[in-house]
Amino acid sequence: MTTPLTIPPVPMIADRRHDGRAPRVDTTERLKSGNREADYILGGGFPANSINIVMGHPGSGKTIFAEQLIFDNAGDDRPILYFTTLSEPLAKVVRYLQGFDFFDETKLGTQVIFEDVGAELAKNGPDALIPLLRQAITTLSPKVIVIDSFKAVHDLATSVAGRRRMVYEMTALLTAYGTTAFLLGEYTEEDILLYPEFAVADGIVEMSRRRLGNRDERYFRVYKLRGSRYLEGAHAFRITGAGLDIYPRLVSPRIPEGYEPANERISTGVVGLDAMLDGGVWRGTTTLLAGPSGAGKTTIGLQFALEGARQGEPSLYMNFQENPSQLIRTIRNLGADPDEAQAQGLDLVYASPVELQIDSIIVDMFRRIQQGRVRRLVIDALGDLASAATDPQRLHDYLYALVQHFAVSGITSVLNFETVGNTIAGNGMQNAMSYLSDNVLLLTVDGAERTRRALRVLKTRGSAHDTRVREVEISATGVAVLG
Amino acid sequence: MAHDDGGKAVILIAERDRSVRELQLFFLNNAGFAVEFADDGQGALDRARLDPPLLLITEILIPKIDGLTLCRLVRGDANLAGMPVIVFSILAAAARANDAGAAAFLRKPLVESTFLAAINGAMMTIPNAKRSLVGAR
Repeated sequence: MTTPLTIPPVPMIADRRHDGRAPRVDTTERLKSGNREADYILGGGFPANSINIVMGHPGSGKTIFAEQLIFDNAGDDRPILYFTTLSEPLAKVVRYLQGFDFFDETKLGTQVIFEDVGAELAKNGPDALIPLLRQAITTLSPKVIVIDSFKAVHDLATSVAGRRRMVYEMTALLTAYGTTAFLLGEYTEEDILLYPEFAVADGIVEMSRRRLGNRDERYFRVYKLRGSRYLEGAHAFRITGAGLDIYPRLVSPRIPEGYEPANERISTGVVGLDAMLDGGVWRGTTTLLAGPSGAGKTTIGLQFALEGARQGEPSLYMNFQENPSQLIRTIRNLGADPDEAQAQGLDLVYASPVELQIDSIIVDMFRRIQQGRVRRLVIDALGDLASAATDPQRLHDYLYALVQHFAVSGITSVLNFETVGNTIAGNGMQNAMSYLSDNVLLLTVDGAERTRRALRVLKTRGSAHDTRVREVEISATGVAVLG
Repeated sequence: MAHDDGGKAVILIAERDRSVRELQLFFLNNAGFAVEFADDGQGALDRARLDPPLLLITEILIPKIDGLTLCRLVRGDANLAGMPVIVFSILAAAARANDAGAAAFLRKPLVESTFLAAINGAMMTIPNAKRSLVGAR
């Protein structure tokens, strides 16, 4: 029985309970962050009436995250209060805020109230924050309070005792009153042990930035979220005109109750290959198609996707080397009509691995899978995806999770992998992919005077297969197994 | 029914958290009530018996007599029969508060609108209190 396609809008949160029980229902009242992916990572949002720290270096995206949150939550009964302190003048904050899509001038002054308390704090010291907060609570009844930057307030204190007293009094006040507070600050990881606000915070999220060659990678991470499940680890993000575009880290899905592998063969679209596989590949399996440059991997991948489209199965072709125009030309050369194939459900996607993080590529892929109810998928090629990943362990985790997601969703996939020479043996990703994949096919290229291509099935899970090395040829209709 | 020197109806609150007290005092004064605080359940009971306030607001987690027991004792005292009790607690104990005879249960933290709405609702149960409610506002 094929499991219905149930891929969520973003990859699922890992269920770390291994006893097979369904996750406990979380009834915590939540405050949405205004960012769908951030809410997903946070298990639904920040717990209402909590105190949260948003930490990160200057320019890391803290203020944008907070601004997106306040404008999304503004609009009904109680206003939102945004205190700017001694980090950035209010005029500057508002000036740059206006460039974002979520900015809504009609909410300013009524539903979203910005107040610069820097001068008051500079004059009277950090203890002045408490009466300012008390006055705000009693006169405005704010449902959300943002203090940007709280670290700057904290750093005004002249003694450790003074800092602790101020944090204690602020915490007592914010806990007594029904408001959700966000303390922004240019904290580092080391500060977590030093600053008392981290001990009282219910939630801690971090924005970080890492330079990688000529580009920067940004990450969103939840350090702490009391009483809540959340998606651990670093989640890549970009800053766009719409705010933060976050790509939740892909983790392995919980295997649904009653999950059974599909008991259905599907055609690869390659003449002779289905027979080698005892009638095609099982639906929902992953096939690693390995071989050197020029062996025919892209052609076989396209044949597989085109066959899916012909069968009425939405097929996604993710490639990192040829843009859609080049791929369309290749499809024409195979004797197929690209327009007809696309009308039947073929989705050709080009992504540059040089410009993107693996997280953004994967999230985009899952969005397309969900929107198009994709049943067949080709990734051409894994090596390009690897170049978008900066951490080998992260790549391995991604690939494992991908294969598991495809399996439980009944998506049949072909993952192309370029080898150096005619062997798949070696270390690293090819070994990992060999054992993660259900089927492993190896293409080889030989010959001095005439190029001879061959195909061998190295492995099929749960199926008999042809163990011989079979010669293949690439003709105007694509790759075909000879004889 | 107890009134302060200015003729305002008195609300008695059994609460130990200083920040909660500050906010309760501010919002209730602002709404036209006088407020007295007790540090524990026994003190609140003694004070109520001395001169019954308009209503009693109690946290559950208070010393000597907990808030739910206090509520039951008040409900069992014929002289305090007309005084509603609101349980306002950090604990999720709506059902237990109801069983103890509370007129309303509110979970902390304090939100002015729901806090005052609960008080207004409880006052509606007091005979002839509607006028003092309007007057108090």
